[in-house]
Amino acid sequence: MTAIDSKGRDQSNDDSLRVAVIQALDLALHTSAGLRVGVQDGIVHLAGRLQSLELWESAEVVAAYVPGVRGVVNRIEAPGAPGAGRTVHLDLNSESEGGLL
Amino acid sequence: MAADISLAGPLAELPEEIKAAVVKRATRSRYSAGQVLYLQGEPPEQLFILVSGWVKAIRISPEGREQAMLFLKAGEIFGDVAVFTGIPYPGTVIALEEVQCLVIERSAVMDLITGHPELAHAFIRKLSERIIYFVELVEDLALRDVQARIALTLLKHAERSDDRLVVPRRSWTTYDEMATRLGTVRDVLSRALRGLEDEGLLQVKRNEIVILDEQGLARRGNT
Repeated sequence: MTAIDSKGRDQSNDDSLRVAVIQALDLALHTSAGLRVGVQDGIVHLAGRLQSLELWESAEVVAAYVPGVRGVVNRIEAPGAPGAGRTVHLDLNSESEGGLL
Repeated sequence: MAADISLAGPLAELPEEIKAAVVKRATRSRYSAGQVLYLQGEPPEQLFILVSGWVKAIRISPEGREQAMLFLKAGEIFGDVAVFTGIPYPGTVIALEEVQCLVIERSAVMDLITGHPELAHAFIRKLSERIIYFVELVEDLALRDVQARIALTLLKHAERSDDRLVVPRRSWTTYDEMATRLGTVRDVLSRALRGLEDEGLLQVKRNEIVILDEQGLARRGNT
């Protein structure tokens, strides 16, 4: 059954995208079990903990490259990474908060 | 009921046996400042009861802009909308300081409200209060400019201290936080606060905002 939310959006698109992002992170970083992923309106939200800034950046890039992803809000905790609780405004045209792409 | 857990808000008024049942089905969790409790778009698996500390609930719009929805303190319940509707969490919740929560799995929530109608009443009351809050927020954003929103927000959070009316600035109350809360950006907020200072309505200090003219600020909030 297709789930339609209160704004008439098809929730199944975000659900599918969430599964795809989790699989991509697992494949690329082998650490998806430690990460949390939410998706709404094609925007990916990431949280959890990683061991390095390199992995933090990689997680964002990997998520951003999944087809259908419009932007990534990276709230993963890692040494040297920006605070997870910071205010985030995405530039959806560049499809990445940090301009990595 | 666990002796060291004290429930505030509507849950505090429940009979002891119901509070004990809630605590028994809950997991106690601690989060440090900046830690994410749940993410926008995650499946609605848990309901949270805030026992101590402050959290913020934020939402990224489809256009990519962050908007603060709620700042919550001890006694507040959150994650409830998603748990009761079955849709993913509509926002992200982040700890603003060290917080302690009771976390209850969705299935346990359903068991508890089925077995304890008084608990369902408490949830309904909390949800109703939140509807009123959002109606007022919509009115604020639609009808008032930034200075008016600042004026009303400051008056709402002001505390009387030694004959002074002050709004304490918690360690996490940065200009960015305040701007997000008021639906604007840092530069606009700074200008608006300077304007209110120039009018002699308030004084911004490092750890507090002093309201110098309560009636004037109230008038500014309603223009």
